[in-house]
Amino acid sequence: MDLARLPNDKKLQLCRWYFKVGCLLLPFVWAVNAIWFFKEAFMKPPYDEQKQIKKYVLMSAVGAIAWVAVFAIWITVFQLQRVSWGATGDALSFIVPLGRA
Amino acid sequence: MSDTGSETEEATEHTALMDGHIAEARPDRVIAERIAKKRKTKPDNQRSYGSVDGVSGAASGSGGSTAPNAAPPPPPPEPQLEELELKYGARHVIKLFVPVTLCMLVVVATISSINFYSVKDVYLAYTPFHEESPYAVTKVWNALANSLILLSVIALMTVLLIVLYKKRCYKIIHGWLILSSLMLLFLFSYLYIEEALRAYNIPMDYITLLFGMWNFGVVGMIVIHWKGPLRLQQAYLIFIAALMALVFIKYLPEWTTWAVLAVISIWDLIAVLTPKGPLRILVETAQERNEPIFPALIYSSTVMYCLAATTTGGTEGGAETRPSSTGAAGRAGAAGAAGEPRARELRPLNPHGSRENETNEAAGAGGDAAGFDSAWRARAQQQRRLRVDTVERAEPPRYTTRIDRPNTAHAAPQPGADDEEKGVKLGLGDFIFYSVLVGKASSYGDWNTTLACFVAILIGLCLTLLLLAILKKALPALPISITFGLIFYFATRCVVKPFADALAAEQVFI
Repeated sequence: MDLARLPNDKKLQLCRWYFKVGCLLLPFVWAVNAIWFFKEAFMKPPYDEQKQIKKYVLMSAVGAIAWVAVFAIWITVFQLQRVSWGATGDALSFIVPLGRA
Repeated sequence: MSDTGSETEEATEHTALMDGHIAEARPDRVIAERIAKKRKTKPDNQRSYGSVDGVSGAASGSGGSTAPNAAPPPPPPEPQLEELELKYGARHVIKLFVPVTLCMLVVVATISSINFYSVKDVYLAYTPFHEESPYAVTKVWNALANSLILLSVIALMTVLLIVLYKKRCYKIIHGWLILSSLMLLFLFSYLYIEEALRAYNIPMDYITLLFGMWNFGVVGMIVIHWKGPLRLQQAYLIFIAALMALVFIKYLPEWTTWAVLAVISIWDLIAVLTPKGPLRILVETAQERNEPIFPALIYSSTVMYCLAATTTGGTEGGAETRPSSTGAAGRAGAAGAAGEPRARELRPLNPHGSRENETNEAAGAGGDAAGFDSAWRARAQQQRRLRVDTVERAEPPRYTTRIDRPNTAHAAPQPGADDEEKGVKLGLGDFIFYSVLVGKASSYGDWNTTLACFVAILIGLCLTLLLLAILKKALPALPISITFGLIFYFATRCVVKPFADALAAEQVFI
């Protein structure tokens, strides 16, 4: 897929599609969207759809960063509190690191 | 890898421009004839057709309609064309080296850091003989039987794919591909992540894991089967190939793996080169229909271009009169079939892109049906191009054959231009079996053999690409590489290593 060859309205459509799909708990899609369309949104000479693309790119970027923050907090809290949560903590654990001799 | 990203993007922009005109990948003779003919009829506009010698990129400025008085260059002699192809080929060799190397690197790194993939406990259902006997003869017999069974499964699947493709059951094929990539992206990567986390002792909770897997898998599906950034698609394809190679290494018995490698490369030879070989039929059918081969099966080194190699001249009659079947061009092509043979044009791989592009072309150069030839179209496009971008100087339309040079002269991105692309493609299967060979070699923990295999495979790939530039038809990528790899592996293991060990033991090096 080469963005440079897409007509502007298709770009907007694609960007919007990526943003919408990203709403299904898919921050990675948002991140891809933000990075992929960054040049379109901010580096290209202005055209009609650019404003909307800019909006979607910004929202995607903010969303992706927010998700990263959420998960950073969650992982920190979980790893610190796992022992004190007892059985719940164990049930949520996928890998419990083994101690080394 | 990361810093080449921008360069390649640029490259695709460049090719976007110059590829508008070089869609035809005909035998050189035909090109030469056309050039001669055109020069006679329309000397003014067509004189730059032969300017293939603008290799250095600097020459492009002088062409096009900016300098209409320039003398027509002599028609390209064939050796020159061939030389050029070899030059372009060299760049593509490097372009394929990187992904192949990355794929092998992932496999080797995994094999050497995660025990799981080199421990034999469970085997694939297709390999019923488990080589548990202590006798070499029995093991060899087991390995051969296993590999033949596996081969027949693969052959059966290939034939099934061809039949479905011939009957145009695209839905079924896509469903099949989507299902298998779904399995790889979710199930096998789940196993991979589990083992990787266990090996590196990284704590993880289910919520993060599920969330991560969901994101990873869905993005993979979108990028592979729909639209997505090229880099990401390549990365996913490499990862999928690596996963598949790991699966083979893990679930095939020891000797069977080597037998499978040998047998598969012979099969590749047969399937691609014999007149009725299934892969050859697949390639030819795809070319006849002007269609991409499914993106989930093939790694392409720039934006999806269609097959690097054209078919042999034998199919030409049938191919040329065939209207293309995709999308809107089906109708446009039906009208235009009488006027201009267009079936040999290379098409972009992406179905959506291709459809847009074809409507575009049908609309823009709608005179196809009126019997204008490609020269007319090229001229019309050139004018359109000049109208569209004022900044850009018109690029002389050029014919290059097959292997395209990505970084040419200056160019500007161009909305609405045809996006035909060419270059070298490598099937994912080739990635998988290369990686199986190197991964298997590395699983014994000897870096000398691993490196030997790696070098051997790359040399084999080089030779294959060289042959591709010379023979100009679809070639099997496995046989040369795998043969080299096997020879190097066994030679290094049985001869070089004992020798080196002996030398080291005698302290010759000190």
